[in-house]
Amino acid sequence: MPSISLSGIEDRLSRELVAAWAIAKKDVLIYYLRPGVIVGGVLFPLFMFLAFTAGKLATPVALVPGLIGITTLFSASSIEPVSVPIERRMATFDRLLAAPVSLNALVLGESLSGLLYSLLIAVVVFVAALIILMTPITNIFLIVLGILFSSLCFATLGTLFAAYPTENPGDIISMVNVVRFPLIFISGVFIPIATLPAVAQMIAYVSPLTYANDLIQGGYNGKMTFHPIVDVVMLIVFILIFQLIANYLYKRFSD
Amino acid sequence: MEAIEVSHLVKQFGTLTAVNDISFSVASGEIFGFLGPNGAGKTTTIRMLTGISPPTSGTATIFGHDIMHETVAARQSMGIVSETSNVYTDLTGWQNMMLAAQLYRIGRSERDRNATELLKRFELYERRDTKAHGYSKGMRRRLTIAMGLVNSPRLLFLDEPTSGLDVESNLIIRDMISDLIREGVTVFLTTHNIEEANILCERVAIIDKGHIAAIDAPERLKKTIQSVQSVEVAFLDGTSPERLDELRRLPMVNDARKEGDKFKLFTENPTEVIEGAMAYAQTHHTRVISITTLGPSLEDVFVKLTGLQRGGGISAID
Repeated sequence: MPSISLSGIEDRLSRELVAAWAIAKKDVLIYYLRPGVIVGGVLFPLFMFLAFTAGKLATPVALVPGLIGITTLFSASSIEPVSVPIERRMATFDRLLAAPVSLNALVLGESLSGLLYSLLIAVVVFVAALIILMTPITNIFLIVLGILFSSLCFATLGTLFAAYPTENPGDIISMVNVVRFPLIFISGVFIPIATLPAVAQMIAYVSPLTYANDLIQGGYNGKMTFHPIVDVVMLIVFILIFQLIANYLYKRFSD
Repeated sequence: MEAIEVSHLVKQFGTLTAVNDISFSVASGEIFGFLGPNGAGKTTTIRMLTGISPPTSGTATIFGHDIMHETVAARQSMGIVSETSNVYTDLTGWQNMMLAAQLYRIGRSERDRNATELLKRFELYERRDTKAHGYSKGMRRRLTIAMGLVNSPRLLFLDEPTSGLDVESNLIIRDMISDLIREGVTVFLTTHNIEEANILCERVAIIDKGHIAAIDAPERLKKTIQSVQSVEVAFLDGTSPERLDELRRLPMVNDARKEGDKFKLFTENPTEVIEGAMAYAQTHHTRVISITTLGPSLEDVFVKLTGLQRGGGISAID
């Protein structure tokens, strides 16, 4: 009976989305203003931007696309490494694990809060750059795509790292930073990929920030290494890989 | 249909077997106590029954739904109140209730109605807009239980519901459990408070070192250890340690312990021990001010089956 199956799928999907949204909303209310989140998600990218500007490596206007790229990287991946260990300590995470929803919904809900946080910060940076620096824009659609997909991608990355079974946010933030900082230097954010050593150029292709940065750069100055469809497809592939690994790890570490 | 059906459930962590081949069932509408010392496997069993932790082998069904293969359907009919009061302290009481309800996809009007009713029932409604970090320990416990009931579950897992609470919260929670029994809700109660299990539960299982040591109605379990009858005696001139040693040496006394201003003498022959205690009082120039014979308590059953020592070892039991 196809109609019954379809309604069953709709029912299940709706249940999962309602739960995912409830989890995300809870994170918004509790964690957005935590010091660890503000430092990791807002101040780090800002200081990085100021350091490159002060070093006169490029003009502030030229650095804006890179700033937006690292802002999405840091802000999207800063919520779950703080929230999940705290919830493990408070035993509230067990409440989520025992809810009548799949791990997919749990991972999606956690990532959704990182996505919203990242979008919020990125919009602030985008508008500030537009007003203060009058940054020229070539294709706003590419910028929106870049911010949207990279935010979801890095939020899922943060959720993946948060699966590590610890009750101390510092443990996870340290691990995430081991990945986040090198990405900045090998993904063409501030240093063009073409000027990197051959090995670093190879690594750049397996960095999601490379594709996110390519879209955002394309939106601002029209210079792109890949076709926009390639960038979007690659980011979607990274999102799916991170989601699958996160599912596996949360299941494995729930014991 | 049984509410819970557990068959040959095993949980291993590396080389440690936390739960070793346990089987039992809980009837719909039954209140079932699950007792055991710390580390016996109680929490591990609950985590398997609620689908948080996968069993190494064996099966468990909740109202016919396999917890491993139909996890969502099985969880939909259950409420879970964990040992820790796991409320979000940065959210208000109302926001906590809404979150719990949304995880069960309860529609807006129903969740508003359920939350209002439960917060009133647990005397938290007036404080519903206060963040939970401003709640007392008892209030947080009550909120945790209210969150566990927000989906009107057919089966409620209650892990140590009254442990360490004030009298008011204790009474509210005990009344709530009695109401649930009247409403036909199945309750799976884990507790250290053996007297609580004795009063509330229709059947209890005693788990020790991962095995089910006994499973039956409390009164029937007590009958299995009639050898642990006791005589409680109080003397006019108090309870010195020397007297405890002397009473231990009376004929037919298997063991003796001091309980407040009284001595409890364990025996298989209470009549002879009463005579012995009276004779002891006479020869020691004192008077017996009260003497009572007692059947075995559920705690006695628990101690015997788990091999716990009275005194230091008994601290696992409240």
